[in-house]
Amino acid sequence: MNETLTLDAAAPIEAEGKITVLSVRQLMWMRFKRNRLAVIGAVMLTMFYLMALFAGFLAPYDPRTTHAEHPAAPPQLPRIVDQEGNFHWPPFVYATASKVDQKTFRRSYQPIGDTRYPLRFFAAAEPYRLFGLIPTDIHLFHVDEPAKVFLMGTDRNGRDMFSRVVYGAQVSLTVGLLGVTVSLIIGTLLGIVSGFLGGLFDNVTQRFIDILIVFPLIPLWLALATTIPPTWNSVQRFFAISLVLSLVTWGALARQVRGSVLALRETDYVQAARYANAGVWHIITRHLLPNTMSHVLVIATLAIPAMILGETALSFLGLGIQPPMTSWGLLLNEAQQTRVLLQQPWLLLPAVFVIVAIIAFNFIGDGIRDAADPFSK
Amino acid sequence: MIKYIVTRTIAMIPTFLLLTVFGFLLIELPPGDYVTSYIRAQAAQGNTSAADQEASMRAQYGLDQPIVVRYGLWLSRFVRGDFGDSFEFRRPATEIIGSRLGVTLTISICAFLISWGIGIPLGIYSATHQYSRTDNFLTTVTFVGLGIPDFLLGLLLLVTVWMLTGEVLTGMNSSAYASAPWSVGKVLDFLKHLWIPVTAVVITGTAWIMRVMRGNLLDQLGRPYVTALRARGLPERVVIYKHAVRNALHPLVMSLGQTLAWLISGFTIISLVLDLPTVQSIYLRAMLQQDVYLGGTILILIGVLILIGTLLADILLAWLDPRIRLY
Repeated sequence: MNETLTLDAAAPIEAEGKITVLSVRQLMWMRFKRNRLAVIGAVMLTMFYLMALFAGFLAPYDPRTTHAEHPAAPPQLPRIVDQEGNFHWPPFVYATASKVDQKTFRRSYQPIGDTRYPLRFFAAAEPYRLFGLIPTDIHLFHVDEPAKVFLMGTDRNGRDMFSRVVYGAQVSLTVGLLGVTVSLIIGTLLGIVSGFLGGLFDNVTQRFIDILIVFPLIPLWLALATTIPPTWNSVQRFFAISLVLSLVTWGALARQVRGSVLALRETDYVQAARYANAGVWHIITRHLLPNTMSHVLVIATLAIPAMILGETALSFLGLGIQPPMTSWGLLLNEAQQTRVLLQQPWLLLPAVFVIVAIIAFNFIGDGIRDAADPFSK
Repeated sequence: MIKYIVTRTIAMIPTFLLLTVFGFLLIELPPGDYVTSYIRAQAAQGNTSAADQEASMRAQYGLDQPIVVRYGLWLSRFVRGDFGDSFEFRRPATEIIGSRLGVTLTISICAFLISWGIGIPLGIYSATHQYSRTDNFLTTVTFVGLGIPDFLLGLLLLVTVWMLTGEVLTGMNSSAYASAPWSVGKVLDFLKHLWIPVTAVVITGTAWIMRVMRGNLLDQLGRPYVTALRARGLPERVVIYKHAVRNALHPLVMSLGQTLAWLISGFTIISLVLDLPTVQSIYLRAMLQQDVYLGGTILILIGVLILIGTLLADILLAWLDPRIRLY
């Protein structure tokens, strides 16, 4: 692995017979690529974000549509072999109907008839707006009524879990990014100002950050989430939640930025800029900010998984995202009761998405941390 | 050393005051107060006459005073050890917290000891055998362990046990033993419930400690002093355990400061999911009901434990590494 990459890097040098200069950015990219886990994480996340972006296209149904005839239906994967053992393409499903056992009151689904309903790809079905803008009704796959395709089953109201997970990605994957952006802004601003100005302001800010950094996240998030007025609609709530997530996590960023600003303040080029009569704003934006950015980005990336977990936890408790919006945490909220879980274990499937997203972000964070300083070892 | 401890303690006082302001504001921020949510709850049950008591209830709880006065009153009583009564339970907040402390500490101390006991040796092994098959396996496991929220693990364990044995192990005791006095049977029953939250917390906790320990030790092993020690022919065992590990423990010792508060604030959501009678679940409830004094006391208690924990960690670190005492 390492060898081939070194060869790759050396290739242009040999081919052109002269020395190539690699920019810092190229060096970082090389190092990032060398970390196999980080690359896997990046690929997984790209897929997740594409899924969120094209949610309307990927989801066969609207996440709010209730299929009254199919409550609590188990996942049904399209099949390619029918009951007689014959092979068919494209994959197909059977229409199903539910039956409630009179003794146990448990619902079970059985195929009715042996009519095959093939999956229709790029089929017209329920209308939606792609990217929230372009009205269209083309879905990646769909089946004709009365058959249904529930890749991940339905909830007790008969809503398609797969569609809900796909739409939930839009909220779950952006709430962390939004939160990190806000905490990036607060953290960088306070860090630079408090490092550059020093004095009483610095002192008070640092004591506050002292507490903030070590305070356990969940209790603080809970306390802040209860302050969101219950009358707010789900979009306002979404922004409020990302604000809550960021208000707790900017401390570490501010600390890091302040540290580098303190060190940078004494460097020759900042001193030179001062003697050249450069304004404070000029020094901050031209000299301090660019030099602290790589550290800041590392911390920011590593903060995203915690934020996704935070949103999941808050929504799981019913304090986070509210319907009609949906998020992975909110989907898990329905899986909270043990009795429900045992009869509908597929309600836990959104958890798989949460876990994969968090692991992917952790992989990438690790890769970026190693890549951020391309001159080490 | 004594001077170091005294200075550190005095430096804690302004931080403590800042903490109380912060805690009080957090409690005050939600729209409405306990009376509002009480009346809403009563109205939901069809009791509309509760609305008439609004003013008198406010006066009774002192909620009609301006915010600064309320903070002053609250702080002065707080310092004297009177933490106020829970509106909901009409008992002192300390009593409610105290009654739940036993179970909370049992779970958290068990989880703490096990995860540190497993995490540190595995982290050392991982670092000393970097990129070996075991290390790669352990690294993958830690990433998965860090990715799974502990409350989901708890839920999964609960469901698995239910499928295997048909028992629902929520709470800390079966209904048969719920109000019974302590006996051998009740202890066994307690242990049967205990392992689910403990296991869930241990898995995420161990993953974190392993990760930190591995990273720190690798960092130390790359330092020149390790090469120097090896060059002098010291046995590898001494190089690693006497020198590198000792230095690699620093960040973990610092994190011990947070552990003290974690003992009563970790695994909040597990507590709720598994219906455990812990401080965390009552905190969540108090926050939702705007039971100001109960929620506030717990929040401040967490903060105070952090301050004490940080102090203890600093002292421990100063003892472990004499260089720090100079600062």
